[in-house]
Amino acid sequence: MSFAQPLFLIGTLAALIPLLVHLFDRRRPREVPFAALDFVLRSQKRTASRLRLKRLLLYILRTLILLAVPLALARPSFGSGDTVDTRRGLAATTVVLDTSLALRWSDGTRLFDLAKDEAKSALRDLSPEEPATVLVCTRAAQIAAPLGFERTRLIAAIDDAQPGFGSVDLNQCLEQATRALDDSPLPNRRIVLVSALTQSALRLEAPPPVGTTAKGEKLKPEFVVRDVAKGKTLGNRALIDVHAEAAPQLGPRAWQFTFTVRNFAAEAVRDVELRLEVNGDVVQKGFVDVAADGTAQKTLAWRFDAKPLGATRQGGETGGAATVTGRLEADALADDDARSVVLSVPRALTALVVNGAPSSQKYRDEAFFTDAALSATGSPVRAVVRDADAAWREKLADYDVVVLLNVEAPPAEAARGLREFVEAGGGLFISVGDRVDPDAWNLAMADVLPRKLRVVKTAVEPNAPDAATRAARLTQVSLNHPVLAPFTGRAREGLLSTRFFRYALFEGDGTANAAQTEVLGTMDDGAPVFLASRRGKGRVFVFASTVDRDWCDLAIRTSFLPLMQRIAAWLTGTLDEREEVKAEVGGQVLLTPEPGQSPAWARAPSGAEVALTALPDQQPRQLGGQTQQFGGGPLPEPGAYVVVDAQGTVLPKLGFAAAIDPGASNLSRHSLDALTDWAGEDSVRVAGGGGPQSQTPMWTWLLTIAVLAFFFEGVLLRR
Amino acid sequence: MLLDAATLSRLSGLKLRARAVVEGVLSGLHKSPHQGQSVEFAEHKEYAPGDELRHLDWKAFGKFDKYYVKRFEHETNLRAVMVVDTSGSMGFGTTGLSKLDVGRVMAATLSHLLVRQQDAAGVALVAQGRFAEIPPRAAATHLSVVLDALESAKPAGLTDLSGAADTLAEKLPRRSLVCVFSDFFDEKQDALKKVLALRSRKHDVAVFHLVDPAELSFPYEDPTLFLSMEDERRLEVNPREIKESYLEEFRKFLEATKDACRAADCDYELVRTDEPLDQALLRFLARRGGRM
Repeated sequence: MSFAQPLFLIGTLAALIPLLVHLFDRRRPREVPFAALDFVLRSQKRTASRLRLKRLLLYILRTLILLAVPLALARPSFGSGDTVDTRRGLAATTVVLDTSLALRWSDGTRLFDLAKDEAKSALRDLSPEEPATVLVCTRAAQIAAPLGFERTRLIAAIDDAQPGFGSVDLNQCLEQATRALDDSPLPNRRIVLVSALTQSALRLEAPPPVGTTAKGEKLKPEFVVRDVAKGKTLGNRALIDVHAEAAPQLGPRAWQFTFTVRNFAAEAVRDVELRLEVNGDVVQKGFVDVAADGTAQKTLAWRFDAKPLGATRQGGETGGAATVTGRLEADALADDDARSVVLSVPRALTALVVNGAPSSQKYRDEAFFTDAALSATGSPVRAVVRDADAAWREKLADYDVVVLLNVEAPPAEAARGLREFVEAGGGLFISVGDRVDPDAWNLAMADVLPRKLRVVKTAVEPNAPDAATRAARLTQVSLNHPVLAPFTGRAREGLLSTRFFRYALFEGDGTANAAQTEVLGTMDDGAPVFLASRRGKGRVFVFASTVDRDWCDLAIRTSFLPLMQRIAAWLTGTLDEREEVKAEVGGQVLLTPEPGQSPAWARAPSGAEVALTALPDQQPRQLGGQTQQFGGGPLPEPGAYVVVDAQGTVLPKLGFAAAIDPGASNLSRHSLDALTDWAGEDSVRVAGGGGPQSQTPMWTWLLTIAVLAFFFEGVLLRR
Repeated sequence: MLLDAATLSRLSGLKLRARAVVEGVLSGLHKSPHQGQSVEFAEHKEYAPGDELRHLDWKAFGKFDKYYVKRFEHETNLRAVMVVDTSGSMGFGTTGLSKLDVGRVMAATLSHLLVRQQDAAGVALVAQGRFAEIPPRAAATHLSVVLDALESAKPAGLTDLSGAADTLAEKLPRRSLVCVFSDFFDEKQDALKKVLALRSRKHDVAVFHLVDPAELSFPYEDPTLFLSMEDERRLEVNPREIKESYLEEFRKFLEATKDACRAADCDYELVRTDEPLDQALLRFLARRGGRM
């Protein structure tokens, strides 16, 4: 037991007063002759035993009062009794409060609440003559306030502190705390570390901080460790990663999400529930087993046009941004049990397929294979097939993509409509054929075509006996382009094995349009086969052969279906590789808006706003336009962020999610022995509520005993 | 005229005090329950063996040829003995008058009233080992003897009502009025029983239970050394601690005394030494009605 104010113990001598009064009180009673003495005698005999007991109780109660009050004033506590070590004399003190993610751990009471209590307790335990300051250790660089004797401001700083969502650098904070003590003229320095002592926050491989006296001498401060985890192991599991990818095999606008679950505990966990939430609604559930100190993955999928949940809410028919969150069954640290991604869900596309060579025989019809590919299960495209004459009467604005298949050069009116359609953001696909006259096309659509058409080259007649071997083949495809990105491995081989009997040649790349044109595939003779370019807000894709079996056999290849679907998607901009924004809590976010967009704020799930500013040094990144990048931070919390411009308009495609650093979820702790080894045996003391050596204040109980004794004494005296 | 203890205490001498009380009391007339010598004819009664022959009315015999005996209604002297307890406890008083003072004033007043109407009054002063008796007489000069005896009484010694009752039972020749003035603090359990036993010998017994207000309320607070007034006993107590118990004991004692008197068909009068004595006597006389 230790006493904060031992001088008050002298007051316990007052407990002897009742005994002394009993022993030495010899007041002479008043003598009174009384006639009814027999009745007095009888009454005394009758009440004697009760009176003896009452006197004894009164004696005990009065002694208790006189003993408990000075004891309470002396502020005793059980435990190590060295919270304030006055053996070395007064010491300047810095209280360092850890705010790392580990402090959000809760088994009923959040560790950070305990930490704040411990920090305030540490301040209260200081002698009034000891200067002190508080350093709230966050991810941002902190400088401790100057040492002072006023405690109210320090306690207010502790009250205002909030736990963070990542690791903190306790080594740096201890260094800062040591610097703050250098100004003290007192010979003793003390750092009270209120922390969960996680290995991610405190690196013991770094040397302990050493201060400097006014004379320039090195001085190691004393470390008082207040372990808010009270020696417990902080078990935790976390969702450390989520990978989202389109899953066309599951249907149009289907995505699959692969979650990585990490178990930091020493015991395996089984059947942990993992929920998939889309814009806040739980749409899928799964269960995952994770080995002790191990990792497991779980994949959940979702189609965004699933009818039961409604198209609009999940960004279905109209497309748009959707926030997808994986959420583990909550444990003691719930903040790292969820992880989000913000997706740009493609909308349903409508394609006008202009059939330039219709035929009553399906297999000879120019649009047969294209219509079948675009209308296949899982396709995001709904195709409407028209012949050329009918097509020019259609209102192009009702379509996302116009597909011109072996069409004669459009008349001037139609050509102007097509040009305006593309400039306004529409997609145009052109495949050639017998009906394509290069000169007429160049005349009518030169400013739309990626390159001017030149002539048609015949590699071999399709009906020739050796056509299969003499046919031209693709030799290079640009797999880094979104359209061809899936054609890797065997899919690439399949694409490259397409036999071309005849194909169109294009002018060289010296034309004005060529600068904005990408060649995605070339023949063995170097002739381009796939050409992609941007025109205004729209896009144009040209295939240098036919999409039926007349000039090549691509239409009967397995690659044809996905290729046509992806071309259609790319033409409408829905296939753009939306560069996943990697944002971490406490870090900066970097956004690449579309031309014309000017993001101003990123709004966190709690409503907190982060200002976004333009980064002038960035180079154009996207094909066909100048793109200004914006950045901002630090991001205050995990979850999905909404980006708005200066007018408050939401920019859905710029939405992003911030995640917690997986390293911060590792709550492995340092042992006190390791701390002692690190800082030196004489420098580390354990105090506060940290484990078996904690101190329990007794003065409130003593005061309660005194008040109760006082109350019962009054009751006894009344009887 | 109501005379309280404070007023009486300022009057010196028993005679003056008794007279003062007498003045305040209406004297009551009483008829003797005994038939005997008188000049006033009452009635005839048919002769029965045993009747005195000298009362035979010969004239009636001559008229009716039957023997009739004359009967006369006549007044007779009442014999009253004032038994006053003079033990040490009777000397206790907190109102200016001790219980003995009050007892002898009341005894003197009653004696005065009785002698005035030609009744015989006597007095017996009793305590352990003492029994001073003035036999009842009706002479006016006898009153001063009675008063002198009362005035000379001093409170001392133990109470011995039991022995006094035995002595009175032997000495009183015929039915008498026995007025007992005492606090009944007698160690002997049967003392009151023996006093009341006089009633069974055809005596008329009236008990005047004298109590001091301090005995009724026990108004002591600080630790006190109580001294016995009859012997050498001393007792140190904290009155606050035992007050409740004391009051309970004393109340039971008063009720037991009163109940015993009622059961024995004796008059009982609780007399507080701080109340007007003429009022206490009037209450007693009114209750007795014509019997005195």
